[in-house]
Amino acid sequence: MQDLYKNRSRVFIGVFILFYIVYIIRVGTIQLNGNAYENKAINNALNKITLYPSRSVIYDRNNKIIIKNYVMYDLFAFPKQLDTLNKSFICEVLNIDTAFYEKLLTETWLKSRKRRKNNAYDRSALFYSNLSEAQYTVLRENLYRLRGFYVEPRTDRAYNVTGGGHALGYLGEASETLLKEESYYQPGDLVGITGIEKYYESIFRGIKGVKTVWQDRTYQERGDVNNDAFNIAAISGPDVTSTLDIELQRYAEELFKGKRGSIVAIEPATGEVLVFVNKPDFDPNELVGKDRSRSFRRMLIDPKKPLYNRAVKGVYPPGSTVKTVLALIGLQEGIIEPSTRKGCAGGYHMGSIVIGCHAHPSPLDLEGSIQISCNAYYCDLFRQIIDHPKYGNVNAGYRVLERHWRSFGLGSPTGIDLLGEDGGSIPTVEGLAKRHGKKWRSSQVVSLGIGQGEILLTPLQLANVAAILANRGFYVTPHLVKSIQGYSDTAWLRKFTKKHRTTVNPKYFETIIQGMSNVMKPGGTANGTGIPGIDICGKTGTAQNPHGKDHSLFIAFAPRNNPKIAVAVIVENAGFGSTYAAPISNLVIEKFLHPDTLTKVPFVLERIKKSVIEPL
Amino acid sequence: MKYENQQSRDGRSDWIAVALFALLITIGWLNIYSVTSDVNQEGFQISAIALKQLFWIGGALLIMIVVSYANVVFIHYLSYYIYGFVLLLNISVLFLGREVSGAKSWFGFGGIGIQPSEFAKLATAMALAKFLGAYGMRFKGLKIIGISLAIITAPLIIVLAQNDTGTALVFLSFYLVLYREGMPGYILLSAVLFGILSITSIYLNSFDVSFIWLYGTLIVLGLAIAYAFRKVRQALIAIAFIVSISLVFSAVIGWTYDKLFKEYQKDRIEIVLGLKADPRGMGYNLDQSKIAIGAGQWNGRGFLNGTQTKMGFVPEQHTDFIFCTIGEEWGFFGVLVFFSIYLAFVSRLVLIAERQSDTYGRILGYSAASIFFFHWLINIGMTIGLVPVIGIPLPFISFGGSSLWGFTLLLFVFLRYDQARRN
Ligand SMILES: [Zn+2]
Repeated sequence: MQDLYKNRSRVFIGVFILFYIVYIIRVGTIQLNGNAYENKAINNALNKITLYPSRSVIYDRNNKIIIKNYVMYDLFAFPKQLDTLNKSFICEVLNIDTAFYEKLLTETWLKSRKRRKNNAYDRSALFYSNLSEAQYTVLRENLYRLRGFYVEPRTDRAYNVTGGGHALGYLGEASETLLKEESYYQPGDLVGITGIEKYYESIFRGIKGVKTVWQDRTYQERGDVNNDAFNIAAISGPDVTSTLDIELQRYAEELFKGKRGSIVAIEPATGEVLVFVNKPDFDPNELVGKDRSRSFRRMLIDPKKPLYNRAVKGVYPPGSTVKTVLALIGLQEGIIEPSTRKGCAGGYHMGSIVIGCHAHPSPLDLEGSIQISCNAYYCDLFRQIIDHPKYGNVNAGYRVLERHWRSFGLGSPTGIDLLGEDGGSIPTVEGLAKRHGKKWRSSQVVSLGIGQGEILLTPLQLANVAAILANRGFYVTPHLVKSIQGYSDTAWLRKFTKKHRTTVNPKYFETIIQGMSNVMKPGGTANGTGIPGIDICGKTGTAQNPHGKDHSLFIAFAPRNNPKIAVAVIVENAGFGSTYAAPISNLVIEKFLHPDTLTKVPFVLERIKKSVIEPL
Repeated sequence: MKYENQQSRDGRSDWIAVALFALLITIGWLNIYSVTSDVNQEGFQISAIALKQLFWIGGALLIMIVVSYANVVFIHYLSYYIYGFVLLLNISVLFLGREVSGAKSWFGFGGIGIQPSEFAKLATAMALAKFLGAYGMRFKGLKIIGISLAIITAPLIIVLAQNDTGTALVFLSFYLVLYREGMPGYILLSAVLFGILSITSIYLNSFDVSFIWLYGTLIVLGLAIAYAFRKVRQALIAIAFIVSISLVFSAVIGWTYDKLFKEYQKDRIEIVLGLKADPRGMGYNLDQSKIAIGAGQWNGRGFLNGTQTKMGFVPEQHTDFIFCTIGEEWGFFGVLVFFSIYLAFVSRLVLIAERQSDTYGRILGYSAASIFFFHWLINIGMTIGLVPVIGIPLPFISFGGSSLWGFTLLLFVFLRYDQARRN
């Protein structure tokens, strides 16, 4: 029989070849299209798990741990994958209601949208922070059926102190701005918000590591990726030694209980801050864990402003405390001598205007003027300096004074390792001309001579002045971190070891210091607040407060020779410097120099501890 | 007939076809081994699935040996009985079978399952071959055409009843065989056009944009085909007629589709057609399949290194989507080699079929070639997004005992017949 359709075999082969070509082209367009698909495949199968490093452990100057870390467990979620069947279980474990669950879910979803896209966990975010031990146990056991949830360990801060928060700072979740600026952070990461935690954030945080694991479609781990290029160990933050003396800090906080103000103590030779107290303050223990944001919000709206760091942000007229500086400038400029005497008739008289002074023997020499804090002496000295004919005019005279003042760190931030420090202010010639007219006269600004008016200092600057007096003419930029293990950035080291010399020759200091030493002696403004056996040199001050009772100020250092501690104390609304500021300062000095023999002035201690100036 | 007195073993099997078969089986097992291997595997560690497939391959080789000793007269004689028996098996699976992912097409024996529909392909080929062989080579007359179509359609409907659409569709490949046996080409073309137009009219309902472009293409295609068959005036007219009818038809389909189907039914159809996004379902699977193949690039990511397939991002990665592993691990060059082997294989079957001296042998050969081609077309087309996702295995490559044994039988019964002829 003849096969009529034999040539149809060619149609078959033809069709085969046709589809062979079509499919080859199709596969080619998929495969020969760069490595976009390969990257997608890699991103699918590899999960980069962030390994969170421990933050730096922070020690005080005596190697006592101030801040350490504890491991906490956070619950993360893929909002899109969650199974509504698990809702009630999660609610039960976390002890929340469904409305709160929905709220958390929405927040998670929002956070996951902001998460940086670099691994398959992109679409997940922190759902619930800081699980309790019991919650963690239950969740871990049920994780296999809680689709879309996973638990990640992280560390949070654990404090051995209840104060010091303004120096140490606290942690909080990375802000949106920070997330935009630094790709290092993911939403929910804890970062330093204030204090040294913020200043040294990039060091304290350590370096995150990465563990890469294989994962399948259901995000189940399928083993580690055994390739070193994919795994980086987390590096903990280095051990940090703070300059603070945590025992002294605790003691100072106790003394300050019931009061409002600051005390800053510095080791003069090194600029190391020994004590850094503000009141009101907060307990850093409240700003950890899952109560962090709630506590923080409460503190923000608290009318007592516990978060306010007045030691570096609060500015006060320094009052008589800066008479010491003016006296030094007078000596340096050769305008007075230690023996220069000035009379005082109950104050300084300029026509009908009188700047009052308390009753005291008159006239006084320089030493006596410090001991007794004579206003007339310094009003006169101030005018004498800026009006001195050798400068030509009052502007030139004031410029000389201003230059000297600035060399004592007045009018600009000290540069302490905290962010947001206020520099206080001292008026410039231009400022004075603007305020008092181009032809201003020394009589119009005479109150600057006694630390009132447009001269403002932070408590830290005041403490720095005390340190300068102790050092007889130099200071090292105050700082809160003494050393960081393995960190030796030369710029950082230089910044906090360099001696800044004032424009006043060291030889002029001794007279002033003798006067300061006499302040605690009979006739001195802080008579009776001294500590037997310790030669404390101090200077009282009273800052006028237009809103209420004057602030009580005191600066001091001790011992007189080879000083170990310089202190500035401001007690708000406490009146004369001798009432509160001086005793607090001297008790702190005593504690620092003789920590084991604190019984020399028990009655003062009790009075200070018990006194409540303003119900807080 | 001339082979009536032949011995059971005579001459040699077509070694090219056997070699290509061996090559495909090897490629298949290597890919199953790879896709089921552990991610951090060191050295040789065989997975349960790869081991099972090795067992199925052993069975297939046994089948190959047994069949090569079979008596061809006996095979020819048994054709109808086998067909009847397999149809009965397929009907009984409807009642006694086990349901696997929605389809009731499996007999379960402990851990092992047998899918009788896989054997219906060979049985249908044998019955069709015997029926048409008995009438010489004329595919004419209502009775012959009717019975032929019945032989093909009966298993199709039964398998459809098993809810296994993919396998049921495979029986359409017998229309290719009928074409070779003299069925007018326009019937085949009109059937293809019917399918294309039904789908495109649903597309058209969704995208108004490509309306003109698509119809234009269809008309040009129709004219090109008409030109190719210009000698047959009748066919030319028929095609012109079919194209115009189809245009009307597609409009009608579009209208019916809109009015007749409920929203959720439309959703299902449109997801299959890729008109609706379904990130965690069909659409997601297709995306992952393309990612896997695309990740291979020129040279592939290497044997055992296909994470996309290994980690389960591609669904059914050792069965219906096994091609993704070839694409991912062996790259474009690997695919080129694999496609070429497959092309050589089906073409070789056509050549062997053509050298048969009788209709029975030829129909067996064309059935085998058509079925293998159809499987390849649908399976690969599915993984590269040219065909809706229809779950049918890739012959000799996909994991699975029933399909492997069914395909082996189909191939070697034909090769045994060819062997007998050659002597
Ligand atoms: Zn006086």
